[in-house]
Amino acid sequence: MRNWTIALAGNPNVGKSTIFNGLTGSRQHVGNWPGKTVEKKTGILKCAGQELTIVDLPGTYSLSAYSLEEQIARDFIVLERPQAVVNVIDATNLERNLYLTAQILETGIPLIIALNMCDLADARGIIIDVAHLSQLLDGIAVIPMAASHNHGLEELKQALVAYVLQPSQQQAA
Amino acid sequence: MTVIGTAALNAPIYVRYQPDIEDELTRLSTAIGQTPLLQRYHPRWLAIQLLEGDSGLLTEVQNAPNGAPVLQVLNDSQARLRAIYNEDIDVILTDQRYRFVNTLVRRVLTRPATQRETLSDRVDKIVTHRLLGIPIFLALMWLVFKLTTDVATPYLEWVEEAIGGPLTNQLVALLTLIGLDGTWVESLVVDGIIAGVGGVLVFVPVLMTLYLALAILEDSGYMARAAFVMDRLMHILGLHGKSFLPMIVGFGCNVPAIYATRTLETEKDRILTGLLVPFMSCSARLPVYVLLATIFFPAYSGLVVFGLYMLGIVAAIGLGFALKHTLFKTKDRVPFIMELPPYHLPTLRGIWTHMWERTASFIRRAGTVIMATSILIWLLMAIPTRGDGAFADTELDDSAFATVAGVVAPVFAPLGFGSWEASGALVTGFIAKEVVVSTMSQIYGVAEEEEAAEPTTLVDDLGQVVTSFAGATIDTLRAIPLIIGIDLMGTEAEDEAEPAGLMRAAQSNFEVSSGGHGALAALAFMVFVLLYTPCVAVIAAARQEFGNRWMWFSVVGQLVIAWIAALVVFQGGRLLGWG
Repeated sequence: MRNWTIALAGNPNVGKSTIFNGLTGSRQHVGNWPGKTVEKKTGILKCAGQELTIVDLPGTYSLSAYSLEEQIARDFIVLERPQAVVNVIDATNLERNLYLTAQILETGIPLIIALNMCDLADARGIIIDVAHLSQLLDGIAVIPMAASHNHGLEELKQALVAYVLQPSQQQAA
Repeated sequence: MTVIGTAALNAPIYVRYQPDIEDELTRLSTAIGQTPLLQRYHPRWLAIQLLEGDSGLLTEVQNAPNGAPVLQVLNDSQARLRAIYNEDIDVILTDQRYRFVNTLVRRVLTRPATQRETLSDRVDKIVTHRLLGIPIFLALMWLVFKLTTDVATPYLEWVEEAIGGPLTNQLVALLTLIGLDGTWVESLVVDGIIAGVGGVLVFVPVLMTLYLALAILEDSGYMARAAFVMDRLMHILGLHGKSFLPMIVGFGCNVPAIYATRTLETEKDRILTGLLVPFMSCSARLPVYVLLATIFFPAYSGLVVFGLYMLGIVAAIGLGFALKHTLFKTKDRVPFIMELPPYHLPTLRGIWTHMWERTASFIRRAGTVIMATSILIWLLMAIPTRGDGAFADTELDDSAFATVAGVVAPVFAPLGFGSWEASGALVTGFIAKEVVVSTMSQIYGVAEEEEAAEPTTLVDDLGQVVTSFAGATIDTLRAIPLIIGIDLMGTEAEDEAEPAGLMRAAQSNFEVSSGGHGALAALAFMVFVLLYTPCVAVIAAARQEFGNRWMWFSVVGQLVIAWIAALVVFQGGRLLGWG
């Protein structure tokens, strides 16, 4: 079996560590605090007979190497080349979050979008056409989530496993 | 929830730039693809970064063999694009990326017709208010230290009694059973381990209260506001406006705070903030304050602890200001932008996890580092270097520990705590601040007169532990309204208990070393503990993050500042006729 690495990337304080804990069952310190994760953290996701290494990257607004944490996130995506990046996005701040998405797309690493904090967006009356967003991004997976309530975690796991089991990926393995 | 788009994950999607930019990107990517050493990068991505002028990657290309053709293409491309756009290329690319995002958002997002002001916004109007922000922060911190000193005290006494009474009794009984009573083994267990490790574990209730308060403040999102409010102040003083976030992390523990400086943009700001972090009073320093404040300032212990924390912040900001205008002078000021997370109602599970994580790590340290140093210190206290004592049966004043610590003691004489006891605690406290407490309880605990322990049964002891726990709970409940000044039970008149043996020993020791200004000397001692090297782990973190030179700068600087500040407190206080 091939060793799969999936990176979690996104702006600070969008719930990456919560999702990381949900995927790997670990209990990383999660804080309502931008900049809690300044070093990447690694865990294992076991799902449907697959074993994936999940890497939680520090939160960044861009992939330009301005601060050390941005450098850590960028170098991991660009040089370690994980098999996919899960871009965690705060649904209440779509516009600002998607800038990083645009930059991750440019690295050529396959992308899955975890649209987190949908509950908060709902509460504020923000409506996001998830199907259309996916379609405009060439059909990449967009998973609506509310990770702090465990909503969407199963769907994200399924999407990761589905991605790993794709025929083209299996051939590459 | 429905998942959209599970297929086609592998199809590359890019932001499409203007055709003339895309042409240049294609040219550059082709050139990059022909340079073997650059193939670890995605060619198009590298092409974009080079066009944007990423200096790190540019150096890499310059150093690559066959990098010259790439540089040639890059220069040509940049020249052509500059002629067309008459603007910096990175600005153009950023702008087009934003347009791509904007288009996406316009097509998929529907905003509510009227933007409601959220509760978060309304709370922030008050909490981050220009004038009210800092008083609110100070009031909350004051409340936290009132909680840790007043409310936790009954439980502290409960643990103290449980360790000093039932636990010690049972262990001694066990040693008697295997015939080791009265030997050096008993001394090691009672005077070494129980006094040292137990002396630190006594403070678990205090720390749990602090960790509980910190967890609530962090999880709710308030701490980010506190950092914002203080950062604004620091920005006005010319300091970098993101420094306070790592510093607030330092209230829990300085080690992650040193790593948290990575959020700062420039190396200079990182190092500067890293130099200030150790002045933030971490939780390990709290037991020292609580111990000494209850001995010397029983009526104002909360205020003393609060004052020390504030002094740490003032020292950090003051030093930051001084360094920023000397060693760390920079021309450009980074604009101050900070994102505030929305307020959450903290979950019970989240708070429990945080509180327990930190408490467990404190207990683990007590079982490892503190245990090891306690045994070492016991050993040093057991070896006679003078007089006619034997191993584990010597006057403390004649022990190796007293001799070694006595060498350092004169340094602290002008500060009012030039006894070998206090100096010894500070020297060993270099390892960790809990060690100051464990060393003191080892030294002063032995000095305490032996009480004739009455033989007790296990059942009696357990019964005592349970009933005194109930008593502690009642006392705590009574203490809570007192924090906000409501005296429901009329407890104000409660008689001051006679200080216990350990406390008496510490008190007379400070009185002697200071020539009758014990309280002032204790205050100076606490100031010294606040400002000097937090622990070896922080030194290691500073070395890893900032290198050897800055580590030494930090360690020596802290010692000098702590010494001067303690001198000012003691001598200044004496001149003013305090204590």
